[in-house]
Amino acid sequence: MRLLTHNVMRNNTAAASAGSSLRITATEVRVDESTTDDDAEGQRREVEFAKHTLPILDWERLVEGARAMGLETLPPAVSPELANDAGFLRALYGVLMNVRLINGMLTCSETGREFPVTDGIVNFMLEENECE
Amino acid sequence: MSRPESTGHASLFYNAKEARKYDSSSRMVGIQREITERAIELLRLPPGPREGGRPSFVLDVGCGSGLSGQVLEEHGHVWVGCDVSRDMLNMANERIERKREEALGGESSSSDDDDETDGDDMMQDSANQGRKHKPEPSPGDLMHHDMGTGLPFRPATFDACISISALQWLCYSNSKDQIPKRRLMRFFSSLYKVLRRGARAVLQFYPETSEHAILISECAAKVGFAGGIVVDYPNSTKAKKHYLVLSFERVYKAPQGLTGAEGALLNEARTGVHVADRDPKKSKRGGGKAPRKKKGTKTKEWILHKKETQRKRGKETRKDTKYTGRKRPMRF
Repeated sequence: MRLLTHNVMRNNTAAASAGSSLRITATEVRVDESTTDDDAEGQRREVEFAKHTLPILDWERLVEGARAMGLETLPPAVSPELANDAGFLRALYGVLMNVRLINGMLTCSETGREFPVTDGIVNFMLEENECE
Repeated sequence: MSRPESTGHASLFYNAKEARKYDSSSRMVGIQREITERAIELLRLPPGPREGGRPSFVLDVGCGSGLSGQVLEEHGHVWVGCDVSRDMLNMANERIERKREEALGGESSSSDDDDETDGDDMMQDSANQGRKHKPEPSPGDLMHHDMGTGLPFRPATFDACISISALQWLCYSNSKDQIPKRRLMRFFSSLYKVLRRGARAVLQFYPETSEHAILISECAAKVGFAGGIVVDYPNSTKAKKHYLVLSFERVYKAPQGLTGAEGALLNEARTGVHVADRDPKKSKRGGGKAPRKKKGTKTKEWILHKKETQRKRGKETRKDTKYTGRKRPMRF
């Protein structure tokens, strides 16, 4: 489960509200290295994607999630200058796409409901009676 | 032949053995790829990275063993896949892992610089050196999830949604508390919310009956989607494919299905949907074969390739001679 996926996920059971977040407990994390170090076209792609994705991110949750996975390098907020900086955007792409939770747990901040992550796959199977 | 959907829950049908069969059948792989390509075509995404644009963030519902995800990657998009079968997802994971190892194999990696990295062995063998094109690690991510419980994402997240051969499973209930219509409504209402403005969804499915197709379209229309069902090859039982094409544009006109079948409009005024599944003007051609989708099927090259595959599998195959795949005289 990548940080990008974690950031856009939400607990959609009937018991949780829209404001709830999923806390990460990381047992095993994997950080992949970038493969576009000498690939200008690949870098451009990454910057474009990061720029396009930035508006939909919950920045606070991203910082929190990254911290839970061992990354402290994200700034607490994104200024407009930073949002247009190619270096920052490329690094953001790396954080969103290359940091994966392999084994661990997601816990709903409101209801305490747990979603285990095994082998990089998060288990979001709900019972019918949990749904809206 | 009974439909898989009538045997029980999707995760029971797509168990480990079935998942492996599904993924290794070259015909199955070919068909799923083709369907995915068509779905991407119908999505009419903004230019992707291969055309100088940017990757789109795509949700793949019922991603299975990752066949459709792979096609999305080839177009340069980033995707998240959900599936109800853990066995199928494990296969998808294997595929992702293989790609990742291939990508890293060509790199000279410095010794570990990050405490969190576990004892993964990074392949540094020479097999990948000297390759001009570096394969990229997969931009796909997987979730074990049942689409009938609603899509668990924040609003306005995805640029597009595709679904290949999965939606029809929602029409069957596998336990006392599963009500198809409720699950369909949950799915479509959540899909409506998680798509970004201007996004589209293309969901290829196999309706068992026209009632199922209508139920699906009605639920999509009820939550506010515009669009319709595009039917490709409507006159062939084998090749016929249904694509539910959905968008937010009120005056969206669904594109034409292949071989001239007309798509249908979801009419705001009615809750029912006009599903065009047969063109009344065309009379049924007697004794005609299903049209060939591409020239590659049943040509001499295909036959030779197929025989090679069979030989590799250890099956008894006749030798290739000058008579292999020659045009036979018409019988009448």
